[in-house]
Amino acid sequence: MELLYEFWSNTGYYLVDPRNLVMIVVGCVFVYLAIAKEYEPLLLLPIGFGILVGNIPFFKGFGIGIYEPNSMLHYLYFGVTSGVYPSIVFLGLGAMTDFSSLLAMPRLMLLGAAAQMGIYVTLLGALGFGFMLNEASSIAIIGGADGPTSIFLTAKLAPHLIGPIAIAAYSYMALIPLIQPPIMRLLTTKKERVIHMPEMRPVSRLERLMFPVVGLILCCFLAPASIPLLGPFFFGNIMKESAVVDRLAKTASSAIIDTATIFLGFTVGASTQADVFLTPKSVGIFVLGAVAFSIATASGVLFAKIMNLCLKQKINPLLGAAGVSAVPGSAREVHLVGQKEDPSNYLLMHAMACNSSGVIGSAICAGILWSFNMM
Amino acid sequence: MYGFEAISHHNGWAMAIAGALIVMAGLSVLSFIISQLHRVVELIEGRGKKKLGRIPPEVDTAREAPQAAPLDADELKTRYAPLAEELGGTFKLTHLYEIAGAHDMPHIHLSIRSLRAAGVLVPEADGVFKWQQ
Repeated sequence: MELLYEFWSNTGYYLVDPRNLVMIVVGCVFVYLAIAKEYEPLLLLPIGFGILVGNIPFFKGFGIGIYEPNSMLHYLYFGVTSGVYPSIVFLGLGAMTDFSSLLAMPRLMLLGAAAQMGIYVTLLGALGFGFMLNEASSIAIIGGADGPTSIFLTAKLAPHLIGPIAIAAYSYMALIPLIQPPIMRLLTTKKERVIHMPEMRPVSRLERLMFPVVGLILCCFLAPASIPLLGPFFFGNIMKESAVVDRLAKTASSAIIDTATIFLGFTVGASTQADVFLTPKSVGIFVLGAVAFSIATASGVLFAKIMNLCLKQKINPLLGAAGVSAVPGSAREVHLVGQKEDPSNYLLMHAMACNSSGVIGSAICAGILWSFNMM
Repeated sequence: MYGFEAISHHNGWAMAIAGALIVMAGLSVLSFIISQLHRVVELIEGRGKKKLGRIPPEVDTAREAPQAAPLDADELKTRYAPLAEELGGTFKLTHLYEIAGAHDMPHIHLSIRSLRAAGVLVPEADGVFKWQQ
């Protein structure tokens, strides 16, 4: 009988805390959104299931939980805390990205820069809310709408906040179809939304080959702290464009990025143990994350409108919203909003140009913020 | 410490302004340089051609004589009708665009726009279009 009681006292049913149940519900919502609504399923499914795994109550000290040394989850989580997974994801991302549209219309890169303003406004907001500088910087990077970059910077500056920041960043990326369109419509007129973009010039192979080298040198000389992200990113891209290492490029853009995404999502989800995750700070992070994402979208759109004051050939201001680096979600959303107004308006390629410059921009911002924190 | 006091204490204003300016300046410079890349490419390719000297350049007939845009609505209708039929009663323009691309149709944007202007592609609700026989 005593044996049975001891066994019972070690079960999750006995050890359960109401906060675990809250997190299990959150995990189920993520899984539901991923499967039923298909909101960023590649991210939400691993994270959602990870949340379920991370919130099963267990007897501490057996080396089971993600925060316990020697546990299997702890070893997998090392890839997050060391910043290895984000770098691998960037390698794959580079091998998947076609910069032709950006090379054909380089002025769209400015929209990727403008959309990073959300990061700096949120930095001020987070400091004003009483967060320390390292925490505020990690929260601010959510405005870049780039999950791996957010995780990377947080792992370096405020590892204790990885769970809430990663969940906030990926949640807002998944909720792009709900967050961005109202902001785009609010800040643009119908006349602006139906602006057609010119067809792009063909880009030579040599240009596409030169870009990763030029991009790496310029960006990493400016913010060397972004090397762990931009180094693999441009390396992945030159593998793709060189066409001499097709096998490597294909592996980087499929098996490698997929493996990193699985472990990244799953372990980030599992890191949301209720006792660590459900704190007032997490609530603040979610609020500030939403603000960061909204300001990033708005600043991209407004900057496009400002550019139009000086340009002969107007830019569709919706493209500014794709300046955040949520690839390809925000580009797709810009295209859909443009098509709702005029079904013959094709903005996808132009939006992808802004999107890819947003990826570079947010990685530079991460490097800048990391440098500021080291001073 | 909260509010403006906290921001000033952590030198937040300077960091935010400097950070925003650095990323804007960095990407502006990158944007300017990549806007000039095609000139560098022309220069490199020009030299390459000079070196080749007497070797006659390969004639890319497809580039030299691009197929003229079939802007005549009737001709476009004849060309696009089988594609529309393949897509069914109603379809999204993106699907028509994709299928036209797969069939190597020239000037797809322009053609679809002309078909719309000619009233051959009629918009329905929810962003789908109908082929007007």
